[in-house]
Amino acid sequence: MERPVFQPPGTPVEELDTPALVVDLDVMEQNIRTLQAAFDGSKAGVRPFVTPHQCPQIAHVQANALGGGDARTTGIAVTSVGEAEVFAQAGFSSILVASQLVTRSKIARLCALAASNRISVAVDSSSNVASLSEAATAAGATLGVLVELEAGLGRCGVMPGGAAVELAREIMGSSGLEFQGVMAIPPVEAATEADLRQQLQPALDTRELLEREGLSGTVSVAGTHNYNVAAAVEGITEVQAGSYPLMDFKYCQLRPEFRPAAKVLASVISHPIDTSAVLDAGHKATGPDRGMAVLEGVPGAAANRFSAEHGVVDLEESAITQLRPGDKAWLVPNDLALCINQYDYIRAVRNGRLEGYWPIAARGRFT
Amino acid sequence: MTQLYRPTPGTLVEDLDTPCLVLDMDALDHNMDVMATYYEGRTSKLRPHGKNHKTPALAHRQMRLGGTIGGVCSAKVSEAEVMVHGGIPSVFITSEIREPLKIERLCTLAQQAEMLVACDNSDNARDLSRAASAQGVTVGVVIELETGLRRCGVQDAAQGVELAKAVQSMPGLAFRGIMSHQVIPAMPEREDRVTEGRRVIQGVIDLKDAIEAAGIPVEIVSTGETWSYDVAGEIPGVTEIQGGSYLVMETGYGYMTDFHYAGKVLTTVISAPRPGVAVGDAGQKTVATLRGMPEVEGRPGVTVESMDPDHVVFRVGEGVSLNVGDQVTLIPSQQDATVSRWDRFVGVRNGRVEAVWDIQARGCHN
Repeated sequence: MERPVFQPPGTPVEELDTPALVVDLDVMEQNIRTLQAAFDGSKAGVRPFVTPHQCPQIAHVQANALGGGDARTTGIAVTSVGEAEVFAQAGFSSILVASQLVTRSKIARLCALAASNRISVAVDSSSNVASLSEAATAAGATLGVLVELEAGLGRCGVMPGGAAVELAREIMGSSGLEFQGVMAIPPVEAATEADLRQQLQPALDTRELLEREGLSGTVSVAGTHNYNVAAAVEGITEVQAGSYPLMDFKYCQLRPEFRPAAKVLASVISHPIDTSAVLDAGHKATGPDRGMAVLEGVPGAAANRFSAEHGVVDLEESAITQLRPGDKAWLVPNDLALCINQYDYIRAVRNGRLEGYWPIAARGRFT
Repeated sequence: MTQLYRPTPGTLVEDLDTPCLVLDMDALDHNMDVMATYYEGRTSKLRPHGKNHKTPALAHRQMRLGGTIGGVCSAKVSEAEVMVHGGIPSVFITSEIREPLKIERLCTLAQQAEMLVACDNSDNARDLSRAASAQGVTVGVVIELETGLRRCGVQDAAQGVELAKAVQSMPGLAFRGIMSHQVIPAMPEREDRVTEGRRVIQGVIDLKDAIEAAGIPVEIVSTGETWSYDVAGEIPGVTEIQGGSYLVMETGYGYMTDFHYAGKVLTTVISAPRPGVAVGDAGQKTVATLRGMPEVEGRPGVTVESMDPDHVVFRVGEGVSLNVGDQVTLIPSQQDATVSRWDRFVGVRNGRVEAVWDIQARGCHN
């Protein structure tokens, strides 16, 4: 576990012990409003995908915001059954595990959760349908099942079209299972609006095929990168958006209407020569596997080298007199999920002062 | 806290739920034996780095097997707290500690254990001195020298001597010695390790000589690590080696063939959607990939194509069978960044779980 010194509410942010994962609540709430506005009056609902932040308190803010307007929420989405357990305990009762669960113990836990929650799960193979059905029947539970479609990610999912319809029929014929529709996770990449629509088309085509067979259901698609397009497309019933409350450096390049709300506060521990300063935040405090964190707010300074425990900042021109030992620096994580994964607490901050420590309760729930 | 997955000892490896960080106990014991055997008869000793395993139980095991100085290194104050509270009698924090709150925590630990800390600046030494005096403790100071890493450290011997003199005069501090940390380009031959190791460590010996010439005894000369354990250990004057990676090992250190891969991540195939493709349930939250994708153990024809935070995508060769439900073993390219994402190690031997250890200092960044 992280072992922070719990500082009192009201502590100025720059006095927080570092490295600290800080979330600016004003920025987060603005991001939440921005997404929500796209769903006001839309037939599609939002199913917040909480895996990137793992924090029930943030999920509640998302759900309450959606419940307060014309937009609506359809529940939450997670990746592991362990995450589902944490969020169920936190009061969420409609949970989609947006991944395949295949081991006996995970399926048994999923069925246990389904006794008092609306639980659904993604599938892409008949063998998985059979094992889910067997376990649900034995447990006397009903599991909602969505067929995952391959949507360009090159990961899980059956090909859209006939193969998906066939799997849907198998689900319909399986005891303990309820066919609920299809799910598609298109890749996150820079794309025109037309391209983003095109990404969703195979899911819509599959839905049409299913309806011809008398099988209607949800069309659940991801995510933050295409939220406004998906909200406006007829036939999409829900959007699994996850990155939008907190964002990260990479995602903000694609969707500049959102701003990074989660940043790592670091301290300078050494300034051994004019042109370099060393931070107390390295790989372990930033989660750099999908790109290095980016130093913010000091012109002429760039965090160019990280090692496990340290970040080295190269300084040019006016920056050489800055970032003295003891000074603070802000790092914007490149990938939110990998950064959050390194912490147990979010330091929730508003107007530069600490509001509280929010547990990242589902961190480490890999199984 | 809600309960985390914790298998019962005796569980068969094939029954472990995944993803799961396992330690091959035979490899782990072998790696500890290599170090113990090497350092037992020498004046230089190993001070195992706790940042790699973050687990007091493993630190005790390292010390019990021998060859160590009777203490560990830590990278952070909170990590050192876990070690001291876990019963380790001597902890050397190998980073500069600058913030007042952390200095207070460090001095508090010095009430309970021998504490050493790296230092490269006299203002920092003054802050340490003030806090240690106020708490009535003594903190050991080890001056860090820059030897090619371009990170922290005094830049040359003259700066080092000046800082040693300053530290010596400050109440609450004991000047104990010097340290330096070095890296070597990927995959060197043994010959390069010896040449490069001797070259970079010579600067440390020069600083020791310079400080002693100024009449200040240098008790600790701490340098070297896994890649140079058998180089630094031979250099007269070196007293401690900071080795950590050797324990769990990683493919990045594959050239250190004295050591075996102990740390592995088990994953289960959750989808085999198209010919040649399979997807496992271990992603980058569980395996560090900065130095490359993990290797697949014992399944010819199966390689890691890519990873995202929650999944691994395998490329499956023609004629190779990999089905939903199959378990696959991954060997990470970087052990400490992998370990720091997990809450526990599952120690396995002869196909069964032997022990489960909490990685108590996981997340201790402060």
